[in-house]
Amino acid sequence: MPKIEGTIRLDPYRIKVPKGFVSGMRTDGIIFVDETLEQELELDSVRQVANVATLPGIVGNSLAMPDIHTGYGFAIGGVAAFDVEEGIISPGGVGYDINCGVRLLRSNFTKEEVEPKIRELVDLLYAYIPSGVGSTGKIKLSAKDSEEVVTKGALWAVQNGYGEAEDLQAIESNGCLEGANPDLISKKAYERGRDQLGTLGSGNHFLEVQYVDEVYEPKIAEKMGLFKGQITVMIHSGSRGFGHQICDDYVKVMIQAARKYGIELPDKELACAPFKSQEGQQYFSAMKGAANYAWANRQCLMHWTREVFLRLFKITPKDLGMRVVFDVAHNIAKEEFHIVNGKRKKLIIHRKGATRAFPKGHPELPDIYKEIGQPVIIPGDMGRVSFVLVGEEKAMKETFGSTCHGAGRLLSRHQAIKQARGRSIKQEMAERGIIVKAAGKETLAEEMPDAYKDVSNVVDVVHNAGIARKVVRLRPIGVIKG
Amino acid sequence: MSYKVIDVAGDVGIRAEGKTLNECFINSALALYSLITELNQVEQVEIREVELSEETLEELIIGFLNELIFIFDTYGFIGSKINLEIENNKLKAKIYGEKFNPEKHERKLLVKAATYHNLILKKENDHWITEIIFDI
Repeated sequence: MPKIEGTIRLDPYRIKVPKGFVSGMRTDGIIFVDETLEQELELDSVRQVANVATLPGIVGNSLAMPDIHTGYGFAIGGVAAFDVEEGIISPGGVGYDINCGVRLLRSNFTKEEVEPKIRELVDLLYAYIPSGVGSTGKIKLSAKDSEEVVTKGALWAVQNGYGEAEDLQAIESNGCLEGANPDLISKKAYERGRDQLGTLGSGNHFLEVQYVDEVYEPKIAEKMGLFKGQITVMIHSGSRGFGHQICDDYVKVMIQAARKYGIELPDKELACAPFKSQEGQQYFSAMKGAANYAWANRQCLMHWTREVFLRLFKITPKDLGMRVVFDVAHNIAKEEFHIVNGKRKKLIIHRKGATRAFPKGHPELPDIYKEIGQPVIIPGDMGRVSFVLVGEEKAMKETFGSTCHGAGRLLSRHQAIKQARGRSIKQEMAERGIIVKAAGKETLAEEMPDAYKDVSNVVDVVHNAGIARKVVRLRPIGVIKG
Repeated sequence: MSYKVIDVAGDVGIRAEGKTLNECFINSALALYSLITELNQVEQVEIREVELSEETLEELIIGFLNELIFIFDTYGFIGSKINLEIENNKLKAKIYGEKFNPEKHERKLLVKAATYHNLILKKENDHWITEIIFDI
């Protein structure tokens, strides 16, 4: 019996949400879940996968990854491709946190070298990296700076002293999407983003000090500069208030546009416009600006992380060897070429809580990864593990070169706080050998490991389905949260 | 208190009520502020004014709450008392509060936006009811 009535199991890793599940579906939905994760599916999220299938110009199936959970409009974990001529673009298919994403840094340190100083390290990182509700950054952007962040992305940060030019090679799209027009972004978005560059945010955003505790693919790991027992740092953040405002501004525009173009919406958060329309193009351009802001943001956060390590361990940058393994976006829309029914087609791919996972040889990959494929960074919850995967050829055939993005929530925030009552999550984490520091009083309860699905189960599904391959597993020893 | 937090996977929702539409809007705004910090810690030393006009009441309530989120996220201003008038889908509000200070005010949730997801705004037995899901 399927968990959700009306869905059909296709194979051990996929279920189908057939046309007719909701009225007006133009194609089937496909959700990547095994029988275990299927038990955690919510009816609302499955309905959202079906709703996306009703949108004009959808190509292939409306897809969802195993970390699926209910979003607004589109499900989190959703991937949807639209024809650039006849299809739509939707801010709801990207999310409020445009280019929320993850960056992984490697180092020359081993766990044994860092562990004795982990408390000091976490305190210092927390002091250097602004985080939490109501925090502002150390950078104040002038009007000219803001426009440059929008057009240059991570390069702006490098040119202003945050990090090195070589960092850019290991960022998706080199940390900059071309075609962001600063004039299409509202004054309010600029105001909101003015002093938030270089801030972590709150909620599920974090900075983690981790070590490599399992290597599945030694040769690929070596190419990525990773080895067993090594210290890594993972940064999860996005475009902050700047991106949220741009999304909010354009949801408004798109609600009007959907009326204007006669697009029927089963849910207002699916508000969209034809990709080629003026509204569609304007949103796409503004979204690129927010994506670029997010890459600049993670670049600044990384720069201060390096400074903290250098200061605490009193070594040279060369000895520290802290380089970017890769930086991925998991809330974004991108123009990409894919093979559809044997023909090469330009599509607008929406990934909302999903990660690009291009295989080896893909022309968009940087030279360093051409031979192995794109590193995919999958964060887990703060108490268990995270993963580095690599994109596989099958992803191009089945998921428009996409895979999962994280663990996916299991408990609502409210339920998590209830379950954590009377417990000290900080203490429980310390007993597992993980030192955590959070700005918000309830953040640790909301974000405790029990609130999430086990990321290992999620990653096993994409690994076994052949859309991305496990390379290494990472375990946290220090965490800062907002 | 005529509002409460409701449970949704991943994000957070609120349910607010009021004898009038105005009261329902005010309670939804106070509910939003209560997600960000402890309301009884917020003193009323500063006033902010918001004026807004939208095509529908649904767009008006989402627009209003997103304006409050913008004002908080940009200027750090948080309110604990609101006066408000609505006429023909036009809203005028005065918000009494102060600048957020992490040393004085409890840090709760960072609210990114009010969404249209499962939005309810309706009159039931002489009572206005709204349910709003926020992106966290």
